[in-house]
Amino acid sequence: MTAAKQIYKMFLRTIKQTLTLIVLALSGSMAVAQTPAAPPKKTMPQVRVAQRPSAPQVVTIVHRLNGLKMFRMLLRSQEQVQAVNGLDSAFGLLDDVHTNVIAGVAMDDGETIAAWLPEANLEFAPPKFPRAFDQSKWGEFKYFITDPPDVTVIGPDGKELLAKYIGFDATTGLSILRLNEKSSLPASAVQDEAIDLGENVLLFAPEPVTSTQSLDNNLYVRIGSIEGRIQNVLPAPNGEVARFRVSAPRLSQANIGGVALNEAGETVGIVDGLQGTEATVLPTASIRRAVQRVLKQRSSVPRAWLGVRGEAVAALELNQFLNHGWAADRAANLAGQHRGILLTSIVPGSPAAQAALRAGDVILKVNDNEIQNADDFTWWLDQAGAATSVSFTVARPDQVAQEALNVKLSGILNPAPGFGFRNRFPLPKGLSLLEQGAETITLRPAVALQLGTTSGLLVVYVEPATPAAEAGLQPGDVIQSIDGKPISTLNRTATLKPPLTMQVMRAKQKLTVKLSPPAKN
Amino acid sequence: MLNEDFSTTVAEHLHTCIACRDFQRQQMKLRQIVGSLGTVNAPADFDFRLRARLAADSEAPSFRFWSFTVKGLATAAVLVVFGVGAVVVWQRTHEPQPPVVAEAPPPVQEPGRSEEPVSREGNSTAHAPEPIPVAENTAPQRRRSERSRFANAPKRTVSTVDFSSERANVVSNTRFAINTATVFPIEASLQSVKVSLDDGRGNARTISFPTVSFGSQRVLTTPNQFAPKGAW
Repeated sequence: MTAAKQIYKMFLRTIKQTLTLIVLALSGSMAVAQTPAAPPKKTMPQVRVAQRPSAPQVVTIVHRLNGLKMFRMLLRSQEQVQAVNGLDSAFGLLDDVHTNVIAGVAMDDGETIAAWLPEANLEFAPPKFPRAFDQSKWGEFKYFITDPPDVTVIGPDGKELLAKYIGFDATTGLSILRLNEKSSLPASAVQDEAIDLGENVLLFAPEPVTSTQSLDNNLYVRIGSIEGRIQNVLPAPNGEVARFRVSAPRLSQANIGGVALNEAGETVGIVDGLQGTEATVLPTASIRRAVQRVLKQRSSVPRAWLGVRGEAVAALELNQFLNHGWAADRAANLAGQHRGILLTSIVPGSPAAQAALRAGDVILKVNDNEIQNADDFTWWLDQAGAATSVSFTVARPDQVAQEALNVKLSGILNPAPGFGFRNRFPLPKGLSLLEQGAETITLRPAVALQLGTTSGLLVVYVEPATPAAEAGLQPGDVIQSIDGKPISTLNRTATLKPPLTMQVMRAKQKLTVKLSPPAKN
Repeated sequence: MLNEDFSTTVAEHLHTCIACRDFQRQQMKLRQIVGSLGTVNAPADFDFRLRARLAADSEAPSFRFWSFTVKGLATAAVLVVFGVGAVVVWQRTHEPQPPVVAEAPPPVQEPGRSEEPVSREGNSTAHAPEPIPVAENTAPQRRRSERSRFANAPKRTVSTVDFSSERANVVSNTRFAINTATVFPIEASLQSVKVSLDDGRGNARTISFPTVSFGSQRVLTTPNQFAPKGAW
């Protein structure tokens, strides 16, 4: 009886424990079930990211400028700079004093990168150099880079990629780089198809994460993007897309150079300008051609240069024709056709001048392609390229028949031609060796002392194949005296023409540099 | 309990040490109290009850079967309950959900650049916690992907949810890109550099330029890089 009682008690105890376990399990399951599903903020984006990767073809280009290049920027700006009176203590001639951060796009070969570097022109000759006028040397000279730009490529994963600056394409303003390792970036899709109006695009560009300096003295950057919509497509005369415009809120200069991707993640272009609230985008077909041009020459490629200024006939008043010697009836007839470019001025010594083009001439066709407006003319000259011969069909005020003229185009690396007659880029009025191929700026004694050198003319750029380069002048040299006269005693408006004997300070050593006149061909 | 020499020593010490004498007095009083208690006898059936308890424990094999059976059933029941719970949880987690907006990125302060995420229409969403509403003219491609995702979702016959009266949410590519973008350092200073210049005619001025620029935030005003209109 006692044993049965014990058994009964143990049975009850076991049942009690089992029921307790069941209740606990049920309550636990209900608690889990009633808990909201896994937080979407964590799970959903991860799934989407796998389906729609951001922009693996967009890289960051870090372009650093040292003190010498910043002086170039000052000289080529509209600041009317002749001399430097004072500098921050952090400023060094060979130290990095400015950094530009901009996007680049990896082409579909996975190793070529195109980027619209806004300061790329500082790596080359100033627009004032008369070298572009020297047609005789054109074709023999390649724009090799003597002082390679300090550019760093950072991949989408934040890792630095070794790359080499190949060259600058003056037609598009793109800089072309090549990665040292082909597999550094995944090959990405590049869309060459037609651009659709109303299509949504994303503009990717690097942006700072914070506006303040971090504790480790670094600036933190990431690739950001804004959404836009294609509002306008600018057709080229051959039917291609020359540019397209994207409207997006809060566009700024920081978006220039950004990479445009469509919703499928394909590259559709690079932002190369702003017009109001719209970004102009260079399409991928133009990017491809720029890459091919630079890679083919393995150096910078200038754009075609004719040496003229003019206006589209369709935009002119009748009296503007009359002012250039046109008879009223012929002018009215010409203006009614709404085609052609009226030349208003010719740069002396330019290809146009050598081909006997004159102000008042109207260029109607380029290689039998009719010119409707200024964009058409630019397009066909760019398609022809530098150092090529083109055929112009020209109407002249003093002859009834149209005339065919062959012109050998020159080239200019800086997209802004040197129209001295328009005083757009006036030559410096002070002491200058620009005509001899050297860009200089005057250092005052206090600044020279700070930079560890002497006062005089600091050479900030030397163009290859010029008298200055042949004499051995180098960027960073300080010219202390010319023909025995200290720089400070020279007349500031004196014209410096070779032959010149210059005392130069280079790396704290005195040198004598003799600058000879250019050899005549 | 101490030997004689030791008791003598202790007695001498107690004679001189007040603290030890008090302690000895308390101990002696406690002994006397305990000694005054009477003897307690065990119950008469103590021995029987003890033996019966021991005997009951020794007969455990006859009860193990029952215990094992009941515990096994209990374990099986618990497993079943957990299984049912797991199914419920699985159904909840795989239930089709309207997409939600990714977490807003940290604000980026840069002149001219958008500090706020931007909706598909380009309208600024200043306070981001709320999902961005879908636009009437949402891109067809995006909508197709949404539909296909719902079509592939497991069908539920138990209940349906009608979202027709609610505005759907979209996930902004912009936000994805920003959220997933790698943040990396660039060795650069945000401080500006000052340069005092002379135009050659005695006019000196000091200009300041930033040491870092993004995109084409040009440091100085320079002539147009592209060919000016009307010049070839």
